[in-house]
Amino acid sequence: MALKIGADDLVENPTPRVPVSLCIDTSGSMLGDKIRELIEGVNLFYDAIDEDDDAHDAAEVSIVEFNSAATLIQDYASIERLERIETVDPSGLTFLGEGVNLALDTLEKRKSVYSGSGVLYYQPWLVLMTDGQPNGDPDELERAIQRVTELVAAKKLTVFPIGIGGDADMAVLARFSPNRPPLRLQGLKFKEFFEWLSKSVSRVSRSTPGDTVKLDLEGLAGWAEL
Amino acid sequence: MSTTELDPTEFSQGGRRLFIDTNIFMDNHSRWTGGLKRLFERTAPTIIAERNPIVVPMKVVRELEKYAGKRSSRVAEEQVEAVRRSRIALTFLEDAEARGLVRTDLGDDSARYADDSFLRVLEWAGDRYEMCVITDDITLQLRIRLRSAQLNRRFAVGTLTSDGLVAVEDDQSLFGRGNRKLDAKRQKVDDGTATFADRQDVDELTALLPEFQTVFGLKPWVRRRPNGANAAGGPDTGEVATTQSAQAFSARPPHRDADRLLPPVSLPGEGDEVQVDSARGRSRVTLGKLVGEGGEGRVFEVVGQPNRVIKVLDSEHRTEHRQAKIALLTSRPFVAKGIGFPIAAISNDDGAFVGYSMPRASGRELQVTVMRPARFRATYPDWKKGDLVDVCISFLEKVAYLHSLNVLLGDINPKNLMVNANKDVWIIDADSWQLEGYPCPVGTPMFTAPTMKGEYAERLRTPVEERFAIAVMLFMILITGQHPYNRAGTDGDITRLIDEGIFPYQLGEIPGVDQPEGQWRYMWSHLPKNVKTVFWNTFHRDGKWYDRPPTAQKWLRLFTEYKQYLDGPENFDPQSNDVYPTRLKAMAPDTPIYNCAQCGASMVGRWQKDKGTYWTPKLCDDCRQNQSRCKECGKPKPAEALKDGRCWECNRKLNYAACMNCGKETPKKYLVGGRCSNCQLVACKDCGTLTAKTALTYGRCGDCVKKAAELDPSRLCVDCRQPFITRDHVGWFQNKYLDVPRSHTAIKQQCPPLTAAEAVRALEPQRVSLSWWQRVTSKWRNN
Repeated sequence: MALKIGADDLVENPTPRVPVSLCIDTSGSMLGDKIRELIEGVNLFYDAIDEDDDAHDAAEVSIVEFNSAATLIQDYASIERLERIETVDPSGLTFLGEGVNLALDTLEKRKSVYSGSGVLYYQPWLVLMTDGQPNGDPDELERAIQRVTELVAAKKLTVFPIGIGGDADMAVLARFSPNRPPLRLQGLKFKEFFEWLSKSVSRVSRSTPGDTVKLDLEGLAGWAEL
Repeated sequence: MSTTELDPTEFSQGGRRLFIDTNIFMDNHSRWTGGLKRLFERTAPTIIAERNPIVVPMKVVRELEKYAGKRSSRVAEEQVEAVRRSRIALTFLEDAEARGLVRTDLGDDSARYADDSFLRVLEWAGDRYEMCVITDDITLQLRIRLRSAQLNRRFAVGTLTSDGLVAVEDDQSLFGRGNRKLDAKRQKVDDGTATFADRQDVDELTALLPEFQTVFGLKPWVRRRPNGANAAGGPDTGEVATTQSAQAFSARPPHRDADRLLPPVSLPGEGDEVQVDSARGRSRVTLGKLVGEGGEGRVFEVVGQPNRVIKVLDSEHRTEHRQAKIALLTSRPFVAKGIGFPIAAISNDDGAFVGYSMPRASGRELQVTVMRPARFRATYPDWKKGDLVDVCISFLEKVAYLHSLNVLLGDINPKNLMVNANKDVWIIDADSWQLEGYPCPVGTPMFTAPTMKGEYAERLRTPVEERFAIAVMLFMILITGQHPYNRAGTDGDITRLIDEGIFPYQLGEIPGVDQPEGQWRYMWSHLPKNVKTVFWNTFHRDGKWYDRPPTAQKWLRLFTEYKQYLDGPENFDPQSNDVYPTRLKAMAPDTPIYNCAQCGASMVGRWQKDKGTYWTPKLCDDCRQNQSRCKECGKPKPAEALKDGRCWECNRKLNYAACMNCGKETPKKYLVGGRCSNCQLVACKDCGTLTAKTALTYGRCGDCVKKAAELDPSRLCVDCRQPFITRDHVGWFQNKYLDVPRSHTAIKQQCPPLTAAEAVRALEPQRVSLSWWQRVTSKWRNN
């Protein structure tokens, strides 16, 4: 039955969807302020989407965390069905490749649900956030990089690799985004980042699928350093 | 139009005849309200004096009777009026006939239409009488006038006035009206909305009009069209003229040079004073609160002018073209409710153009009202389908007006349209309109015609491309946000979906393909046939109007008809009035409409062609899918049919098992050791062998039964020396502690006849050598 309700929600709303996948590092090194600020940022992101008429009906968010494994902690859902995150306990290693692959798998599934039901959608977004070096299976990492770059090249994915803190491996993040350099979060400006992200989502929601949406690159200045 | 009014009295003189056609009785036209009464008052004295009643041919009476005969229970409101009028007319005629004012006995019933009766009278009595027919039917007027000219008779024909006079049009204007009628009917045929009678009219008029023109030597009829209709309506519309404003822009202006940004200036914001340059001069106002922020600029309230807003273009959209367009639009005094015509250009303190003022639109963007079912239900919970049709009509009226000015909206999308609770649509964003060769530089892929490629600003939109956007918008208003080309099984690339031109919804025999999931197909199903036909032919690449979607005018006619349909007798399914019907539309008025036995949802019978009956399942699809299911087999079953969560079959399967011996299905509780009670192993009472119960006879196993039935060889008949008694029989006596009989006779049997040898042996004393023990026992036994 639960699945059925999800489907009704999906088909009764003709608004084209913006699938946003948050793929976040919850390895041991995120412990403390980083993870607290991150969770706060995500919840703020939810609130901002909820308040925006267009984004409210369009955005669908999913969250994959990676540490010594990759876990889907939130499957794609509209803002009304998203569960606010209470706490996350960071621990373990940084299986970034595994995380991205799981996020992409989840996205593919969602896209086939859209397609099967006849729901239009915008180019999906993948937000990849890490504060360290990937140390999962190197093959998985290579596979993830290849999948992301292929999707980006085919204009089927917009990717935002974000480095957190000074230890983030910007070189690896750069490989995920050949066109746009990865961004390094200034300090712990998660709030500013998610504000920017929600604004960008709203912007896309106000356009129609197929429109080329210009990202508000000026807005980046508030939270990122290139 | 020149019309002569004849006094009908002229034709109630002797030697003349006055006829009245059905439509004069039936149609309640304001042109002749009260006219019938006046007609009879005028003519009554002459009629009586001359004994020359007005003729209402029998066929006309029959037609009236046909209307009147409709049982009121079976007709809808619109027809109720017709029934009422026809009954009044019949009563009136009866009364008038009794007074000798009318005769209804002329003509016969054989003509198919009353029209034909009049022409017959003309043929055979034309040389005896001068006649006059009162009818409002243009075709009949044309036919009669043509025939009378050919026969060279005076045969007046005209319609009734409210003074009871006969209004006779001159030949030229009658010819014009005939042409307009033909045009309108042809339009209906083109639209696929024509009835049989409409098609007949087209055939008749097509043949009649050229002949009429020749016989009367008339000037050819020129279709009046607005000067600019080609730009707005396209050359192939066959559109009847709409009011063409003298202020219209050029119909086919050349494309202007590429647009350029104006030199950057400081843009005013909330609280800033700006300069207003209107036709009436210059003034200053203060920008009030920010009302909204769009893709091209910001809209502010105007302090002290609640009905105005000012749009300040942002730096990327402050262009030469926009400035020129605003100047053109503000130079003419356009005022139209629901259209955001710029009122004045706005400049900043340095006198640089920064935007324009316009009337403040009421309502909210379609994007966040009609286009989103959840919000729509919340915003306008009481709206019915007719209200959405009103929204469409309101939109179309404005579009048609702008088109008549040779203005194209360009970027038609649900953010540029506002709607309020009164169903009034506002068109905003005048600075992006296309006029005088300035293109509309923006667009929305969902509303972009497949012929438009590349940058919007680089070319002028064609009226046909604009009409594509109109069609999509109308569909999306009626179907609340669903795009006509959205279908299941695609990657959601709307531009490609539009290019492919596959319209997924069903039309008559043409099945739907990949219709998106959800209520959409129900909403589509309930649109009237003619609306569906036009949409299908517009959107589907195989459709007749795929290359030239209907004009705003044509849609306007169609939607006006849709509105009438909703209130009319043909709308037999109550759900057709709902914005969100929950099922497909009933096929015909007699299709059973009933409720699902479980959830009460409305259902309609499904026509089974092969059986010629309606299939009326008790449960709706949802209930059949969602109803309680057996936890074992998962089959949907009504809740009351489930015991312990399982269906009867599964419970039986679970509680029953086959006996391992006989295979009989037996409740498990009666099975012992896998066997049913019949197949239980029981010890044979004789030998003690475990044997299936069924194989026992009176507690004995087969072997023991056989054995018991055998004669006991140790007991010989004392008479014949033969074994004579079965073991069973022996047992019987022994069980009762009786002596066991010793001869056939004792058990009421006869000794068998002896063979010769046996007889001899019997007679001889026994010589059998017996052991000692045998002898002792035998002796003991025989004692």
